[in-house]
Parts: sequence; structure tokens; C-alpha cells
Amino acid sequence: MRLGDQFRTGWRNLSRQKLRTSLTVFAIVIGAVSVTVMLSLVTSAQGFLTSSFEKTGEDRRVIATPQLDLDYGEARWQTWADGSGKRIDDETVRAMAGLDGVESVTAILGASYFEAIRVGSSGVSVSNTPVVAYTPNGTVRRELLAGRALEAGDDSGGILVSRAIAGDLGYADNPQQLVGKTVTLTPRKEFGDAARERTATVRGVMLGEDNGLDMTLGFGKVVSPVFERCEGGGPNRQPVCTRETDFDRTGYGAIYLSARTTDDVTTVERGVERLGYGAAAGQEEIDAQAQAFTIIGLVLGGIGAIALLVAAIGVINTMVMATLERTREIGIMRAIGATKKTVRRLFTVEAGVLGFMGGVVGVILSFGVAILLNRILNQQLADSGITDRDIVSVPPTIAVAVIAVTTLIGMLAGRLPARRAANLDPVEALRYE
Amino acid sequence: MAFVQCTGLCKTYTVGGEQVRALDHVSLTVERGDFIAICGPSGSGKSTLANVIGGLDQPDSGSVVVDGVDLARAKDAELSAYRNSHIGFVFQSFNLQSHETALENVISPLVVGGVGKKRTRRAKGMRALERVGLADRAGHKPTQLSGGQRQRVAIARALVNNPALIIADEPTGNLDSHRGAEVMAELERLNREGITLVIITHDQAVAARAGRVLTIKDGTITETRGRA
Repeated sequence: MRLGDQFRTGWRNLSRQKLRTSLTVFAIVIGAVSVTVMLSLVTSAQGFLTSSFEKTGEDRRVIATPQLDLDYGEARWQTWADGSGKRIDDETVRAMAGLDGVESVTAILGASYFEAIRVGSSGVSVSNTPVVAYTPNGTVRRELLAGRALEAGDDSGGILVSRAIAGDLGYADNPQQLVGKTVTLTPRKEFGDAARERTATVRGVMLGEDNGLDMTLGFGKVVSPVFERCEGGGPNRQPVCTRETDFDRTGYGAIYLSARTTDDVTTVERGVERLGYGAAAGQEEIDAQAQAFTIIGLVLGGIGAIALLVAAIGVINTMVMATLERTREIGIMRAIGATKKTVRRLFTVEAGVLGFMGGVVGVILSFGVAILLNRILNQQLADSGITDRDIVSVPPTIAVAVIAVTTLIGMLAGRLPARRAANLDPVEALRYE
Repeated sequence: MAFVQCTGLCKTYTVGGEQVRALDHVSLTVERGDFIAICGPSGSGKSTLANVIGGLDQPDSGSVVVDGVDLARAKDAELSAYRNSHIGFVFQSFNLQSHETALENVISPLVVGGVGKKRTRRAKGMRALERVGLADRAGHKPTQLSGGQRQRVAIARALVNNPALIIADEPTGNLDSHRGAEVMAELERLNREGITLVIITHDQAVAARAGRVLTIKDGTITETRGRA
């Protein structure tokens, strides 16, 4: 019997029992949808994670810190030196720039010297906002809502502000209006006379929940409070005083290194460690977060697998029923020349078609679920200031694999009933009422 | 060698823990073009003999060679191919697939045997239906046909692969005398066209029309009427 005729016969037999076929397929659909959606969620989450790390350059980033035992999440907040660990100065920056596999390097200086930012009559507190200064050489990248990234010329006072600050200043709906505006930065009171009020120009508005206020390293040193240090060491016991900036006293908080490729990250980490500093890579964070998704995916995928197993039992049940109902038909087929193999194949194909239909319907529904999830997630992404949209997608490979697997499950489940049908004694089968 | 050559056929069934000898050293020969009737009371083993000659069943011992095919030793594939293209079965209860049309039933051996394309199958099926005078019923389901018509569809199905031998097991058993006579006339016509005909029956009127009559009783066979 030709394969085409087997499919036609199988399809015909299935459509004779529409309700039973639909219910059996429905069970497979449930399994297929749960497996497809779960796998898609996991891959989408990992993809989103990787792409968001790529946008900020964090996939290739290594953070060098004075402390030796920080993980990436902690190192990200290590912007000002507290005196512990090995001091980071310009000499260190140069040494790190020369490490193998390094593309670019910048020192990070936490410049939280200000209490408030003011434009015109409206002002907003920045005392709890991270203020970061870095060399604008591409090592640190920000996603921008408006304006442009920092440039070398911004040493004279160009800054980036977060979307939150722009919003608080009254530019929530028109952030591009804030670009080019001059703002006033008020110093924290605890610095006393050491710090002064400064003016700066907004060059861009940043996306991202963790960002606050960005400036170039050059401007960061300019706005740093200046302290007078006096030592009573002169011959007449008169004090000898020197003036030094906050930066001179403590050094940099950290150094960000950008590896040439993600493969160079480990090399760069080793290099940083050899210089006696702590090293933490953005890859670790990706891996850690991805691992969480993988575990969630495995658990949910396992639930889907159980659903498919139950569906397989449904297929076995349906096919056993079919062999019982069609015993006489099987006898007739054998009498007109069908081999055991033909009968076996006929039932296997039929069971496979059940699995295939379940898989196809399941995948189609999964695409629907993805659209639905995106509709919900897009709103949340927009609310949290992330530009990505439609992050949940069903990868074609997963769609094809799920259909293949459900078809295979159908065929495997059909094996037992198919063999039973094939091994019926044709004489007995013809007598069956 | 004869067209059908059975030698020392034995077949034992176990029914309810009891051994039943359906065939006890049965030997017979059928020549090409013969019309033979196998008679006997029910349970005498006549259907078993028909099934063995038809390749649906295999004997415990003895040999059965039809048209050069050794059925007793044949494997499933060979036996199935034999059933598909060398012989045609006609059953008492018609054994048509109720969900298929007359034409679909008739061409089913072609589908199972993987013979021809759709158009060829259709043409062959229509020719077979024409031979039994039912071309105008091709699209009818078995339930829309009378008993006699159903049996003629079954005959058309048996004919579709141009077999050399038709085995009919009580072909008139489920029909009234009028319809039965129609079906018998059909089968006799085919026999005159050269097809060897083996009919299993316990109806003396049917047996009377055969060229030879063999009677089975308790598994042994005797020729009650020889070649005319």
C-alpha cells in the first residue's frame, strides 16, 4: 500500500470518529502548548537578557575593583573608593588598558557631590541618585531616550540625566526639550566650603532603571570638592597645607574594561587579577540569570512533558478502541491482500496523524499565546523605560521540534495497538461481530 | 501439475479446550476453469478448506499449491500478495466496508496492492462494476444497496484484479432464492469466461449447478459427483 493511500485512509478513519479524534488531539494540544510556550519563554528571556546586556556593552564588560571578592551585581555599585583594597589611579588605568584582549578601558568615579539638580524654577533631589563619571570612549554605553551620548568635549560640563530625573523636572512627555538646557547642581551640605554650586548642560536623557546622572571623568574631577590638608611639620611647627580633590584622596571606585569579544572576557579577568584587583564579568550575571530561567524552563517543561505523556496514553486508548471497532475491517483488508506490515503501518500512521494534528494546533495556539503575552509585557516594558517590544517569540526551531516530537509520540503510542491489529488472525477477524 | 493441488492437508483447532479436526489428510486437485462445489454440514471443515486454498489460513501439515504458489510455506508478504492478485474472495456476509462507496470497495484491492494511479483504479473499478451490472450504483454506500446488489459489489471487488480463481463461501447464504439465483448466474457466467470457481455451500440447489461436488464430513473429503 502506498504511503499517500495510507495517509488518506488514516485521515478518513479519523474523521469517522470526529468527537473522539478531537478529544484525543485536544489532549496533545494541551501538552504541545505548554511545552512550546515554556520553551519559548525561556529562550525569549535568555535572548532578551543577552540583547539588553549587549546594548550596554555588559556582555563584554569586566569590572576591576579594589576589593577582591565582589560579584558582578555588587561590583556594578562599586563607584567610589572607601579606602579598602588596592588603590586605583591613572597608573592602574594605563596598566589595564594594556592587558590582553582589552578593547577599551575607563575609570569609574562616583561623583555624588550634589544634593539637587535645578532647571529654571523646578528642582529635584539627587542625593540618592547614582552619579557616575567615566571616560566617554564607548566602554560605558547608555540607551538614550533623547539627545546623544557623552563626548570628550563634555569635560566642560555636559551631562546625561535619567528618564526619572527628566520626568521629575517636568519633561516626562517631552524629554528632548530638556536636551541643551542648562541645569544647576547644588552641593551637599556636608562638604561645606569644599564644594561649590556648578552649572552643566544636559546632553541626553538615559533609559534604564539603574541610571541617574552621568558625566565625563574630566568634569567629574572639576566638580570634585577640594579639601585642604595641613600637617604641622615645619621647623616652627607651622602647619604645611596642600589642596587635594576628593579623587586625589581616594582614587577611582573601579575600572570598567571592555573585552574585544565575549571570548576574551576570561583572559581580561585573569589579567585584572594578576594586577592584584578583583574582577567581575557581566557574563557571570548573564549566566546566573539565564540559569534561573533554565531552571524555571525545566520545571515548566517537565509539566508539559507530563501533559504529553498523559496525551500519549489517550492516543493508545483511542487506537485500541479503533482496533476493536474495526476488527472486521481489518479482516477484510487482510482478505483482499493487506500484509501485516500494511495494517501495522496504517494504524501507526493514524496515530502519527493524531500527534501531528495536536502538534500543529498546539504550535498555532502557542503563537497566539505569545501575541497575548507580548501585549501584556509591552505595556510593562514601556512603563519601565525599556525600548524592547514583543520579546516573547516562538522560535521556528522549537515550533518544528514540538510538531516532530508530538508526531513521534503519536506514532510510538500507536505502536502497541498497531501491532495488535496487525497480528489479528484474519479468519477470526472476519467472523468478528 | 493441476491448478490447485492439495495433498494431505491437516488442520486442528482447539475450541473450548477440545481438539477439533477441521481437515484430516485432505487431498484434492482442481483444474483451471473448473467449477467445484464443496458441501458439508456446518463445522465440517469446508470453510477451513476454502480459507487454506484462499491463503487466509495455513495448514498444520500437508501442502497446498495454487498456480505454482506453495501456500503452506509462504510468508505473510507472499501470501498477502497471492490473496491480493491471484484470487478473489466472496463471503456469505458480503464483507463490504460500510463507510466506503461501491466503487471504493471494488478498488480497495488495487489500493492495498498499490496498483495504478487514481484514474487507472477508477477505470478498472468501473469495468468490474459494469461486469456485474452495477455501474450506475458506483457512488452508493452498501446500506443504500439491496442484499443481491451488495453481493454483486463483492463479486466486482473479487474480479477487479482479474484473478484466476474465485472462492465463494456461501455466497447465497444471506439472500432470498431470487437474489441468490441472480448471484449464482453471475458467478456461473464468470466461470464460463474462464475463471476457476470454488463454491462452499450446504445448499443442494447451488451444488447441483457445479461441475464437480466434493463433500466434507468430519474433516475428510469425498468426491460425490465427478466431472460431467
